[in-house]
Amino acid sequence: MNDCIVELRHITKRFPGIIANDDVSIGIRKGEVYALLGENGAGKSTLMSILFGIYEPDQGEILVDGKPVTFHSSTDAAACGIGMVHQHFKLVEPFTIAENIVLGVEPKEKKLGVLPWVNMQKANRQISELSRAYGLEVNPTDRIMDVPVSVRQRVEILKMLYRGAEIMIFDEPTAVLTPQEIDFLLQIIDNLRRDGKTIILITHKIAEIMRIADRCAILRQGRLIGVREVAGASAQELADLMVGRQVQFTQEKTPPQYREPVLEVQHLTVKNEHKYDVVRDVSFTIRGGEIFAIAGVSGNGQGEIADAVAGLVKAASGKVLLNGKDMTGSPVRERTLAGMSYIPEDRLATGTIPDMTLQDNLALREYFRPPFARKGILNQDAFRSYAEKLIGTYDIRCAQGPDTVIRSMSGGNQQKAIVGREIEEQTNLIIFVQPTRGLDIGAIENIHRQILQERERGAAILLISLELDEIMSLADTIGVLYRGEMLKIEAADRLSTQEVGRYMMGVKEA
Amino acid sequence: MRKKDLFLARRLTGRYASLWVSVLAILLMLVTASILLLLIGKDPLAAFRSFLQGCGMIPKAKYGGGSGQLTDLMDFLNYLAPMILASLAFITAFRAGLFNIGISGQMLLAGFTATVIVGYNKALSAAVAKPLVLLIGLAVGGLTGVLIGFLKYRFNIHEVVSTIMLNYIISYLTGFLINSNYVDMMTRNSKVCTPEARLTLTNVMIGGLKCKIPLSLVLAILIALLVSFLFRKTVLGFEIKAVGMNRRCSEYTGIRVSRTILLSMGFSGAIAGLAGVAYYMGYTNSIIPKALPGMGYDSISVALLGSGAPIGSIFAAVIVSLFQQGANYMSSSIGVAKEIASLITGILLLFAACGNYMKYLAERRIQQAADTMQPSPAPGEQEDKEVKAL
Repeated sequence: MNDCIVELRHITKRFPGIIANDDVSIGIRKGEVYALLGENGAGKSTLMSILFGIYEPDQGEILVDGKPVTFHSSTDAAACGIGMVHQHFKLVEPFTIAENIVLGVEPKEKKLGVLPWVNMQKANRQISELSRAYGLEVNPTDRIMDVPVSVRQRVEILKMLYRGAEIMIFDEPTAVLTPQEIDFLLQIIDNLRRDGKTIILITHKIAEIMRIADRCAILRQGRLIGVREVAGASAQELADLMVGRQVQFTQEKTPPQYREPVLEVQHLTVKNEHKYDVVRDVSFTIRGGEIFAIAGVSGNGQGEIADAVAGLVKAASGKVLLNGKDMTGSPVRERTLAGMSYIPEDRLATGTIPDMTLQDNLALREYFRPPFARKGILNQDAFRSYAEKLIGTYDIRCAQGPDTVIRSMSGGNQQKAIVGREIEEQTNLIIFVQPTRGLDIGAIENIHRQILQERERGAAILLISLELDEIMSLADTIGVLYRGEMLKIEAADRLSTQEVGRYMMGVKEA
Repeated sequence: MRKKDLFLARRLTGRYASLWVSVLAILLMLVTASILLLLIGKDPLAAFRSFLQGCGMIPKAKYGGGSGQLTDLMDFLNYLAPMILASLAFITAFRAGLFNIGISGQMLLAGFTATVIVGYNKALSAAVAKPLVLLIGLAVGGLTGVLIGFLKYRFNIHEVVSTIMLNYIISYLTGFLINSNYVDMMTRNSKVCTPEARLTLTNVMIGGLKCKIPLSLVLAILIALLVSFLFRKTVLGFEIKAVGMNRRCSEYTGIRVSRTILLSMGFSGAIAGLAGVAYYMGYTNSIIPKALPGMGYDSISVALLGSGAPIGSIFAAVIVSLFQQGANYMSSSIGVAKEIASLITGILLLFAACGNYMKYLAERRIQQAADTMQPSPAPGEQEDKEVKAL
């Protein structure tokens, strides 16, 4: 293992109650793309946080260029040429791109020999050159708050390059990107590899590993399961290793049995706070037993359609009918009581109250009516027994049972709690927005199965997703949204993935 | 050895963590205040004893004619009642995620209005006047609170900004009205209220001692129980907490967020109004023009020290009131300026506000201890041991 630029030997890291890394040893060669594959909570991020100096290992050692090193902070790691793009970007929003990149390592000069001064012109120039050299086009003087997520990620990559990082850690870099942006990022990673940089890619998306990685280490429950050459491995093999059992990639789907129309959206237009039409004259109908999926690149108005149907934003014009009844101006509660459930995109910001207990969160659709409350007085016993029932039915893993605080649970279990709460209402309409975002394979399988079960029960399902694979495998009908307009509505079996992709790019006649 | 070492850390992460944080904050405050007193050459023990003596908790060396320890204790309770109410006002808004720092202004406006309408009306009997004072306090404070809530949800004006502005307006408006219409030429304060309207009975003889009886203390404890009930048992309390913790999720759930904000701000203002009448028509019997009551700000310390719990804040109010009310006697008996009481309250607020940091340190301490235990047991066994140690 002498050719390794980085070696982690027998790393063990414990947190109260769990062993995040259990005697993990890996070696990473110079100039390769090394993937760390594992489900949520497998210990990938902890291992890389140790390499980046955020945590110190309880046992084991780190070798960089064959020499043992000890990192007390990420500054130490950066001094050894290690850089990291975190899943949640660390950027100062009101600062410009260049200011963010040079922050901490500013090109300092002395005006008149004494006055310390940061030469921003020089920084801007350097960054322009750097960004062109790697194909990461950015405008150094744009403010972070004005640029989209994909550009922010480029800024994070440039930050590492500017600091001369040779070893670059990417923590779930594609979780926030659209399919096109993912292609672009993988291209960049390839460029970096060709330039001699060493890349460590933390991910649970096997397709990306197959496309870009040279080798892949699989972690499960804190232990290293194996290291595979990607060229000699199949996706199925990697998936089985990651999950620890046979994985079924596609779901069994029964032929559709449509019932009465449940949701009718007629000429819906929604404006954002700048009075700009984000949804334009959109009409569609979803029948009971039908999964209607809206495909589209992120930010084309999908979220606003869901919010308008759910009553969280006002429709500027048009109508929303639920079970034939006009609900356009109705408040949220009236809609949920009339038979609507909603699994929102953001679990912590919208779907739950993170600092409340699981028990309280599970009761959010019910707390105000019997048996949970009578005459305005709560009945805690009802909360508890309902929570215990849902924990069992939906297999929600929680350390302290109904009293577990939502924030302390894993993303997969938070989502199980939300999905469980909403499905338990047995409503006619269920809205799913990005239901599997950031989840591992096991959890995705589980949620897809539940969506299909609800379809068989006869519920109308509005599915909004950025994952085209998800849409193609679940939808009965597909609507493609482009800049707020519904370009195409068609039965799913009459559309190919390529055709949907073309409509998503705004091509009218595919 | 290790067990002893971890005693505090275990307490700070356990079930009664909030209580232990408050206890620790009080201990730290006592230590800091002692150092401060030592630095100016005073005996800290004598100082703390005189605070307690000033509040009738322990007997003084000598008493004037007709007064005794009970007199001091009743005076203390007379101060305590509005303090409890003011901190309950803060808590009610705080739970909805609103920072009501306008309690002083709401107290003053309610106290002034009740004084002018009822306190100067000699025709009213006690049975009519006292309930009327409470009603006016509730209504004036409540409406002020609703106004703040309305400004917040309709025009998106942050409650901290609007309450600070309202504090100024109320302070100068009432000051102007008192100076032009209701001023007592001797004291330069507003004229005193009628005994019928006052919420504290004065010159009551108990065992040969002249005592005050603060009727508002009963009210304060009643309101504390009510607020506690609101947040633990009612749908409305649940909704207020939900809005306080995640406004967006509350909207998504179907809670009418604007109504909830209006209501909790209205409740907060109404309780502040009660605190106002208990203060201006009970503890004092007149109003100093253009001066906001410091109690409105002390109530924030009290609420934090009581970790936002209604019943906890009764005990926290006792601690803070001890220093505020005992300061006069302490000052005259050992010769330290009475402003030290506010300084001590400030130190207490600082330590109480560090509560989360203390909890974090304790968690880290426990984790380190677990890490050094070698060879490490399986996670399950480890937890069992900790439970037993507790």
